[in-house]
Amino acid sequence: MTGRAARLVIDDVRVSFGGVRALDGVSFAVEPGQIVGLIGPNGSGKTTLLDVVSGQLRPSSGRIVLDDEDLVDYLPADRSATGLVRSFQDCRLYPELSVEETVMVAFDGRRRTGVLSTTLRLPGARRAEAEKRDKVDGLLSSLGLTRFRRHQVAELSTGTRRVVDLACILAAEPRLLLLDEPTAGIAQREAEAFGPLLRRLHAVTGATILLVEHDVPLTVALCDRLVVMEAGRVVSAGPPQDVLEDPAAIAAYLGASHEALARSGAAATT
Amino acid sequence: MVAFSIPAWTVVAGLVNGLGYGLLALGLVLIYRSNRVLNFAHGQLGVTSAVLLSKLVVDLGINYWPALVFVLIVAAVIGAGTELILRRLFDRPRLLVMVATIGLSQVLFLLTLAPFIRPKTAASAYPLPFHSGFTIGNGLAAHHFTGADVLTLIVAPLAALALAVFFARSPHGLAMRAMAENADSARLAGVWVRRTSTLAWVIAALLSAVTAILAAPAKGNGFVEVLGPDLLLRALAAALIGAMTSLPIAFAAGIGIGVFEQVMAWNVHSDPALQTIMFAVLIAALLVRVRGLRTGARDEERSSWRFGVAGRMAGAGGVEALRRQVGWAGVALAIGAAAVLPALVSQGRAFLLSRIFVFAVIAVSITVLTGWAGQLSLGHFGLVAVGAIVASRLAPHWPLPLVLMVAGLMSAAVAILVGLPALRIKGLYLAVSTLAFALLMQTAVLNTPCWKSPLFGFHACTGLPDPASQYIARPSIFGISLVSERAFAWFALAVLVVVLGIVRVWRDHGLARAFVAVRENEIGAAAMGIRVARTKLLAFALSGFLAGVAGVCFALVTQRFKADAFSASQSILVVSMVIIGGLGSVQGAVLGAVYLIGLPAAFGSGVTTQFATSGIGLLVFILYLPGGLAAVLTKLGDAVTGFLASPSEDVLPAADIVEVVTS
Repeated sequence: MTGRAARLVIDDVRVSFGGVRALDGVSFAVEPGQIVGLIGPNGSGKTTLLDVVSGQLRPSSGRIVLDDEDLVDYLPADRSATGLVRSFQDCRLYPELSVEETVMVAFDGRRRTGVLSTTLRLPGARRAEAEKRDKVDGLLSSLGLTRFRRHQVAELSTGTRRVVDLACILAAEPRLLLLDEPTAGIAQREAEAFGPLLRRLHAVTGATILLVEHDVPLTVALCDRLVVMEAGRVVSAGPPQDVLEDPAAIAAYLGASHEALARSGAAATT
Repeated sequence: MVAFSIPAWTVVAGLVNGLGYGLLALGLVLIYRSNRVLNFAHGQLGVTSAVLLSKLVVDLGINYWPALVFVLIVAAVIGAGTELILRRLFDRPRLLVMVATIGLSQVLFLLTLAPFIRPKTAASAYPLPFHSGFTIGNGLAAHHFTGADVLTLIVAPLAALALAVFFARSPHGLAMRAMAENADSARLAGVWVRRTSTLAWVIAALLSAVTAILAAPAKGNGFVEVLGPDLLLRALAAALIGAMTSLPIAFAAGIGIGVFEQVMAWNVHSDPALQTIMFAVLIAALLVRVRGLRTGARDEERSSWRFGVAGRMAGAGGVEALRRQVGWAGVALAIGAAAVLPALVSQGRAFLLSRIFVFAVIAVSITVLTGWAGQLSLGHFGLVAVGAIVASRLAPHWPLPLVLMVAGLMSAAVAILVGLPALRIKGLYLAVSTLAFALLMQTAVLNTPCWKSPLFGFHACTGLPDPASQYIARPSIFGISLVSERAFAWFALAVLVVVLGIVRVWRDHGLARAFVAVRENEIGAAAMGIRVARTKLLAFALSGFLAGVAGVCFALVTQRFKADAFSASQSILVVSMVIIGGLGSVQGAVLGAVYLIGLPAAFGSGVTTQFATSGIGLLVFILYLPGGLAAVLTKLGDAVTGFLASPSEDVLPAADIVEVVTS
């Protein structure tokens, strides 16, 4: 299910809420197949930027270019059709649907369900539904979710919900993946397991990944490049080791960085 | 058509009505500000006091003023008591609380029927402190204003002023706003949330009582319906123009709507046209104001019903399969019983069975729209009416299956139109616009066989051919006559079973899981490529199709019906059905229809028993049994399964998933 990795260009994006400039001319590119980490203090505009890229929020100016397509006028669902897939910080999913149905919905987004053919149970609709179900079965078993398939999402722990979210992402066959704090709200032990998991996700999908994450060691260990934001601007960008030593990045986010560096060094070798 | 004119008396008459709308709007805004609830019981909160005032003054001969003080105290007590009941629901979805207020208004209505409140002499005039009126104009154009009108012109502005002074001079206004934004934070900041909430409800009840006492004389003594849905809608429009937050704007808007309505009524000369204009005003207010309403009120838009989480058997495969078999056996048993029943009972009872089956179809169509897609419709009988119109025009000429299809498609098309605002308006406000749609159907469309445009001489026949009383002969289907009640009951059951089968397919084989996904998490579903607008409109269309099919059956059951048969209260009744049955559950919708149509009939049909079963039922189920009758059924099924299952098949423990994935 490897899709062709996409190149993302964020070009001079500006967003204002009332008088506050949430994004003040953000520009950077994510090369195909790279994992880029977006870090910065709370309120620096990271999630706002993801919202602009995935279409939840319309920028007042600027362009979002995926390969050669300018996405700014696209609805979220249309962006998803170009292979742009995102996860959400709260990982809410659909509390009342079962795990199986939740992943089915991700397939529904790829392939429209015919009203008349489904109602009359025509062979075409039956086959499409059976194919979706097979794919879901395969995904669930490869992620170890089979026993949860009939559980409602609301019954799951946050960690399990994140794995279901991964299943949905895989189902959507991403070319560009936006991940918003995938380790938020889960236990430290589970968070540590996420590094290898994300690497596997990257290997399996072959997608370009833009990752927002507060866990600096994890981000440093995973990413090809880091982008540091502060107050709606990019203050530093480059390979992780360069950024960690960049005074601007240290002032904006990393703070007294020796401790962070030490911890990231430890994590990077695991 | 004469030239547009604004005589002085229309403005004063409009002012009298508008002050009433304004007072109601004040109460609605007050409750919305403090609890974020659209209070459908607002009108009914004070009606008890108004009825009691008449009892005290006319029946018992007590002086007006002490009687007035006493009934206002009664109103305050009712307000406080209401808050006490609804307090249990304040962390539940707002839509559900709104439906609870509908149940509450029905219970309050029952209270006004109690012999110790209702006056014996219903024919006598409503008590007034004075009777001096005045006249504007002379000769044929003269218009007399009664003492009741004078009283309104004096008291309503005073009441509004008193409220304004109260909010300006006391810290409660700020406390109420803080509480509405975030009850927990307000509590930490030292706001006594319970007392503030109670205070809001007491003030609202007092306002409602004043409104009802002012409005009662004009309506004679039949004032139990004084504050009906049409009045409530005008008040809602005023409150919405005030963005549900501004008391002065809402009050002024109420007056404006009153004057506008009178002036238009004087110039338009046609009630349907007037109703259409008022509908347009409401929709315009909604669309203009909706942006302001949406900021800061994010929680209410996440309308997860959170039902049915408990009581699921998440067990090993064997038990699960057995549980499913038990479920199917139950369904087969129920359908079998329903199929045998018409043969065993009298023709009259068979008619009742037909009604239950038809209402079950309507309830199922609401389950699709409200239970799954989360779009609360308070105007579903407007869609049923479309089906009935099609039946009245086509059933005598076309074969019945074709009529059912055409009615379904027409109704689906109308439903898509009704659903279009849903792309911009959400939750509570959508419910208001659907209610307005149902009123429009009842008062303007059904009553008007044909519209003609005065400018183009264009005719469009959309209403009932004869709105006063429509008769439709039951046609035959596949050569079988449906004239006998028994035959028709079987036909209605067959329609219900087919509908249940279709709905099952929608839910289990692909279409409806997107509805639920969009309801639960619109942004997330859109990011996964689900087209939100298409999904919502599809839910409206599918629900409308079923409502149209039900409309044909509805027309053919009663055979003789009037436009009044499609009132807003009918729409509310079917919403009560799905909530009592268990929102989102198809079996529940059917059970709800059995309960709300069958039970009152068992005690002799009438408005009283209807309201008693639906009103009390709604409150009891929302407060104590949120899963509804369907949850009871689920528990029963689980118990039977537990009894049949061998004890060795036990439930797998839930393991830590991340370990499984990464190891």
